[in-house]
Amino acid sequence: MHFSLSAKPLPALTWALSGLLAVAGLAASGCGKGGHTAKSTAEVSISETDFHIAAPTQVKAGNVVLRVSNKGPDRHELIVVRSDGGALPLRSDGLTVDEEAVEKREAGALEPGSPGGHRELAVNLAPGRYVFMCNMEGHYMSGMHRELVVTQ
Amino acid sequence: MIRRRRTSLRPFDAGGRRVIVAIFLTFAAMAGLTFFLTLSATGRLRDRGTLVELAARQRTLAERYLSEVLLRRSGEQADPAAIAAILDESTQALLEGGTAPGVNGDDDETAVSAARGNELRRQLREEAALVSDLTANGEAVLSRAPVSTLPSSGHEHIVTSDPVQRLRVVTALTSAVALNVARTIADSADAGVSSLVVTQVGLIIGGLVVSLLLAAGLIAITRRQTIHFRTLAQSSTDLVAVIGEDGCRYASRSLAAKTGRPEGELLGEGLERFVHEDDRVVLANAASTGEPSAFTFRLRDAAGTWRHLEARATDLRSDRQLRGIVINARDATDRLQLERELSTQAQRDGFASQLSEALEMADEEQEVFDVVERAMLDISEATPMELLLSDSSRANLRRAATHPSAGAPSCPVKSPFSCVAVRRGSAVVFDTSTALNSCPQLRDRPVGACSAVCVPISFMGRSLGVLHTTGPDASPLGSDAVARLSTLASQAGARIGTVRAFEKTQLQASTDGLTGLSNRRTIESQAREVLREGRSFAFVIADLDRFKALNDTHGHEAGDRALRLFAQVTEQAIRDDDLLGRWGGEEFVLVLPDLDRFGALSLLDRLRARLAAAHPGETARFTASFGVADSTQAGTIDEIVKIADMGLYAAKAGGRDRAKIGEPPPATNGAGGDSGDQAEPGEKPPSEPGSRRQRGRATPSLHRAALEEEPPSSGVQIR
Repeated sequence: MHFSLSAKPLPALTWALSGLLAVAGLAASGCGKGGHTAKSTAEVSISETDFHIAAPTQVKAGNVVLRVSNKGPDRHELIVVRSDGGALPLRSDGLTVDEEAVEKREAGALEPGSPGGHRELAVNLAPGRYVFMCNMEGHYMSGMHRELVVTQ
Repeated sequence: MIRRRRTSLRPFDAGGRRVIVAIFLTFAAMAGLTFFLTLSATGRLRDRGTLVELAARQRTLAERYLSEVLLRRSGEQADPAAIAAILDESTQALLEGGTAPGVNGDDDETAVSAARGNELRRQLREEAALVSDLTANGEAVLSRAPVSTLPSSGHEHIVTSDPVQRLRVVTALTSAVALNVARTIADSADAGVSSLVVTQVGLIIGGLVVSLLLAAGLIAITRRQTIHFRTLAQSSTDLVAVIGEDGCRYASRSLAAKTGRPEGELLGEGLERFVHEDDRVVLANAASTGEPSAFTFRLRDAAGTWRHLEARATDLRSDRQLRGIVINARDATDRLQLERELSTQAQRDGFASQLSEALEMADEEQEVFDVVERAMLDISEATPMELLLSDSSRANLRRAATHPSAGAPSCPVKSPFSCVAVRRGSAVVFDTSTALNSCPQLRDRPVGACSAVCVPISFMGRSLGVLHTTGPDASPLGSDAVARLSTLASQAGARIGTVRAFEKTQLQASTDGLTGLSNRRTIESQAREVLREGRSFAFVIADLDRFKALNDTHGHEAGDRALRLFAQVTEQAIRDDDLLGRWGGEEFVLVLPDLDRFGALSLLDRLRARLAAAHPGETARFTASFGVADSTQAGTIDEIVKIADMGLYAAKAGGRDRAKIGEPPPATNGAGGDSGDQAEPGEKPPSEPGSRRQRGRATPSLHRAALEEEPPSSGVQIR
């Protein structure tokens, strides 16, 4: 066994430990995923950047899994709100959407995630119009929202 | 550091020391590395704290810029441009390294290094873009310029046309990204700490694993060396014992194997039981003082036989591990045995060559017997021995030689054919006469039960006799002595055979052709033999009366017949042991062992009667005169002959046909007188035969004395 003073073992050990954690995590999530995939759900890929959301404009109603990747560089959240045709109400500061006001219309939400992260959000979408948005300070106002049409 | 060792036997390898050094080095390296890592990580964390502070300050500065712009717009005194400059410079410093300016009344300039990490740099670039947008928006608000011309370098798509609202949104974006930058820097610090912990844990585990492996290697090396040493010690044929104050403290496996006892039984006083009583003192001395350092002792082995051990004592009492004296011994029995055999062989060879030379010098059988007797003494001083030889008929065994000091065992065997050894033709050793298969001749000896060795003697395949010895019961002669006996038997047999063959040829040359009797030389030698044996005997000279007249009257044929008749009759009259020979002419000689002169007279009376009764056939009747002497009268044959001669003279003088005892001449006796005066004319003068008789021939006084002694006799008259 050779042991040198170089920094090589450090990433190696980190990898080994994270590898172990990853295996454990996959095993855990694998169980949950198995339940979802049983019902044939649609999948939608969503990509977030500063300050834009790229997503399909149309999807079939029902259970939809949103695969969200944050391409950064900032942290972003994803909130899915059923649209009633008009603009979303803003809070009194004029900078963020009033989430409390649209709470009943909210189909699902992901808390702020780090750039480079990939997350999933399972939502049940009824036919109609929905809005994807990031409601971090000023992000909505800077264009981080996108409309989705859910068809029958 | 652990490499595969060669499997060769290296009991003295010092590899273990290197492994221990390696273990120490590993621990030192681990400790040093941990210390270094901790030190550098601590330094990095301190830097990160400054960075986080700086990044967080941007958020405050962005808010302040907004409020300063708004204050300025409402006509208050404010300097948004200074804030914008600080914002921009700080962002650049965070991104590319450099000096972040201080804020009035807040803190000093801060030197920072360039940001590392992709995520952080992207966020900082976004921040820089937003800061420039923020500044543009702020200036647009103050100069009331149209918003549509404002840049959107941060990729923001602001739809509102209200410049203040726009400025607020950009401020919010800048503030958010600044917060993100601060969080990213803080996160990377956290990651640094956790990676440091992981690294240190890894180092500790790695160091332990390496040390354990090295320790296992060390144990393996030590065990291999131990096994090597044990194998060497156990496979050694040397017998090793360590003896301390409390007796034997260690006995090697070879010692246990030698004595046939488990090692445990030899410890303490156990070993002593196997040592010969006479050797216990020397062993005890060596085991307590180390002296003598070299000695020999006898040890009883598993078979119960004594083994001779050559031992060496090494004083290791001062050795803290051994605390005793090491006895190293080696079985020398076989070597000593070989040496003994070689020296015995040499002695036997010496004996054989001496015997051969001695026998070569023996020309007569008796001389051979003398050599045999001396050789018997050489073989064993105290063992009775005898040489039994068959006689000419080969039907009887007679004793020919006897051990000079121990005597003869007196085997009662009569015939060669009754002797087991003779019949077998090979040496026979009887351990005890009481055994069922022992020789019947050994039973009922006066000495009681005994052992015996019988070696047959032969020549050219013909059995001559047997060499016989007896010894104490159950303790026969050793193999050495038996071997010497065999040598003696074969050499003596060869010599006796040779001498006998020689004597036979001589006998033919020494026999009288006419009568078949011994001639004069032979009878004389035979007489000497009897004298030498020390037997008493009578000596008779016979002379036919008036033989010349017989010859002249009846011819030589008649004379020869008379001589033959005399020989024939005399041979029949005498005993087996008696010797008869023709002395010459009409003279004969008789040697009569175990008879004195007076006994001889009565024998001669019977002889004369036989002569008188003998049917002469064609031969004329004749008489004979006899002169008698015996071995008590003189010490040499010559003397005895002389005395007998005088007797004959007296007999002739006394009238013939009679026997007279001769008298030895007195020392003062002179020669002289009327010699020959009593001789008849025509008679052979008594002085005639043999010059030997000349001197004492004529002693008248003696003659007369002889005549006086003459017994009355009836002569045989020649017709």
